[in-house]
Amino acid sequence: MRLSVLLKFAKVLMISRLRSTRRSIISKSITSRPILIALIGSVLFVAGLFFGYETTVFLGSGTSLTGPVAHQLVVTIFGGVPLFLVGFYFTMGLLWEVNASTEAESTDAINWLPITPGEYVAASALSTSYTYSPLLMVAFGYSLPIGVLTGNLAGFLLLVPIALLSTSVGSVSVEILRSALASASTAFNRLGGRITVIMRIIGIILILLVTQLLFSGVFLIQIISSLVGTAAAASFVPVFWPTLTITKVLQSDFLGAAGFLGLSIALFLLLSYVALTLRAKYWAVTPAAIHFAGAGSVSGPSRLGYFGLSSPSIAMLKREIRSATRRKEVVRLMAIPIIMPIMISFPAIFSPAPSSTSGPAQIDPIFLVIPFLFGIGLGSLFLGMTSIGQEGRRLWNISTLPVSARMLVKSKLLFTSLVSSIGLGLGAVVSALLLHASMFVVLGFLGLGIMVILAESSLGIAIGSRFPDFSDGPRPRFVTVVGSIIGAVLGIAEMAIMALPLILSFILRTFFALLIPLQFVLALSGAVGGLLAWIAYVLSVKPVDSILAELPN
Amino acid sequence: MTTTGSAIDVSHLTKTYGATVALNDVTLSVGTGEVRGLLGPNGSGKSSLMKTIMGLTKPSYGSIQVLGYDVRMSPMEIKKIVGYVPESPRLYEFLTATEYLDFIADVRGLPFEQKKERIARFVDALDLEGKQGDMISSYSQGMKQKVAIIGALLHRPRVLLMDEPLNGLDPKSARLVKELIHGLAREGVSVVFSTHILEIAEAICDKLTILQGGKILAEGTSKDLRENAGLPGSGLEDVFLKLTGTKGVEDIVEALIR
Repeated sequence: MRLSVLLKFAKVLMISRLRSTRRSIISKSITSRPILIALIGSVLFVAGLFFGYETTVFLGSGTSLTGPVAHQLVVTIFGGVPLFLVGFYFTMGLLWEVNASTEAESTDAINWLPITPGEYVAASALSTSYTYSPLLMVAFGYSLPIGVLTGNLAGFLLLVPIALLSTSVGSVSVEILRSALASASTAFNRLGGRITVIMRIIGIILILLVTQLLFSGVFLIQIISSLVGTAAAASFVPVFWPTLTITKVLQSDFLGAAGFLGLSIALFLLLSYVALTLRAKYWAVTPAAIHFAGAGSVSGPSRLGYFGLSSPSIAMLKREIRSATRRKEVVRLMAIPIIMPIMISFPAIFSPAPSSTSGPAQIDPIFLVIPFLFGIGLGSLFLGMTSIGQEGRRLWNISTLPVSARMLVKSKLLFTSLVSSIGLGLGAVVSALLLHASMFVVLGFLGLGIMVILAESSLGIAIGSRFPDFSDGPRPRFVTVVGSIIGAVLGIAEMAIMALPLILSFILRTFFALLIPLQFVLALSGAVGGLLAWIAYVLSVKPVDSILAELPN
Repeated sequence: MTTTGSAIDVSHLTKTYGATVALNDVTLSVGTGEVRGLLGPNGSGKSSLMKTIMGLTKPSYGSIQVLGYDVRMSPMEIKKIVGYVPESPRLYEFLTATEYLDFIADVRGLPFEQKKERIARFVDALDLEGKQGDMISSYSQGMKQKVAIIGALLHRPRVLLMDEPLNGLDPKSARLVKELIHGLAREGVSVVFSTHILEIAEAICDKLTILQGGKILAEGTSKDLRENAGLPGSGLEDVFLKLTGTKGVEDIVEALIR
């Protein structure tokens, strides 16, 4: 493996992420250089130092922190950092880093340049690690004063390499996911026709579900704990091994720590080997060569016309659906609003929340709203944010047609809402069957869910149209780094505003015995969502109009 | 809408991208039923001019009218009457050719029978018969170019903008497109056509415009250009090289071979 080639290629991948910005809020000279990430990391490191210091001083009541409280704090933070980093890197990779289209991948310069699979995997993992390194820096900044002020500097010094190992595990796992998705997209091409499309969707959703299950650890620990007991279960779950290395050291169990360190390194090496093998096997992706029987004849009048949709609107919607089901990089996005609520609600499913009634079959609606609607909202937001950038270099097709900005925004909103509704439907089924929610609660949940979807999709489109990424390079994101951060913050804030009536009613009932009818609370939350959706829709039209009038260079 | 004698009127058009001047005070008029060829070296502003006429990018200064519609004021009207073939068109690779053309026709509001008849006719004429049910991702560059050309013609445009339309086409299809352009011009369609192949430009175009560095260097019939260049008996290539100031080609080739 040539180190210079590896570093140069990693830099190219980084630049491809940074320079896809259509317009920037910071000067171009800074945003176009990888040093930007290091600068952000430095600022966050200092911020972490401040908060870490404040936390320790707060818990120590102004004096240095010692005793069981200090030990508990160190174990929680130092032990939590590696586990969080693995999950974070993998989830970020799933959301943002595996977007390259088959078309771009098959014609990528990397296919004909003398770069080995090992160099590719290492460079790609390195660039992913570096992209999200500001989170690592904030974790280090936060942990350092805790380590120093509690007399656990040695623990902090051990945390540094373990955290780096955890980020490497997360980044290499993204490489496995990248190759697995490529294989799922090409393996079914042989089948031909619509069955290919259906199998590919199922294949990609299964890959995403299984990998998320493995890397979240929640599912595995549930299974293993049923066999060997909760305490021992974590020892068998690979994603916990870096964490256990730290906690064993803090418990002065150095032999156990050495064992888990060895296992962590072995896990990293194993994942690297798998990533390398898969990359070597699925090096150049074959563009789909699918023939659709019957697709050679033009379509007649659509039944969707009965719902008042015009012929151009139906054509736009059909195009969105075909794009979502046939483009490898978009199938993955479409799966997210369906998978997200299921993943987020796993703890709720496996550990049912306390019931609000004396009967065993009822569950407090608040425990449905938080996991499911939060997951559905995040999925809708993500799909909305990426919907404009997905047009890529094909945007001229729309720009040259008599399609208004409003029509384009509406088609994106309609499609995003349709896909997210599948997640909402699954959520309703899970609520009814697994959580034994009443029909009234399920219907209320569905009604509010539709408003959450509309509000978050509209917000996503508003952000995606202001910060689109139209690049077809090796690391397209469909939305810029700045846009994705702003979108995530605003999306969570929007959901918090929508949840406010529910939270208030919960507080009033719990602490003041003041009962507000659930119908009223849900209607109020829904009305807030409707208003937010309308504002975001209005805010989307102007930037989409300017995109259509000025094609990106 | 104001009525003018020409189909396209470009007046003092300037287009800048940051510090780069893509078009510099370009004034141009294309008559109804005229085939206008745009010639120029790489980066001379041909594609920028076409994109600006189509309304895909805003003029920094100056005005453009297409059949009396102002590009800035009436972009939707212009999109209804203009057909556009970009250089290296990126189509929806996830659609089949028929689905792509079906989409274009539906958005343009073509009635079902008309849509069916026109798509079938063009697919047959451009030798895509039997392939129209395949996803565009499996097409060659030439086949994609054919689909883009059909997409631009489906709605019977009154103005046609074609940026290097013969790229990747086989000789039969190239010949067909050339004849098609002539035929459309006879029907009153105004065509603006850019190419690097000077023989084609001379054969197809009523008038030629040579661009360099975003400015119009010369304009007129091929005969006019020869006279302007002081090369009345020469080929268009010599005229082009002289007008664009491309000298010492032999020396450059010699240096490259070394």
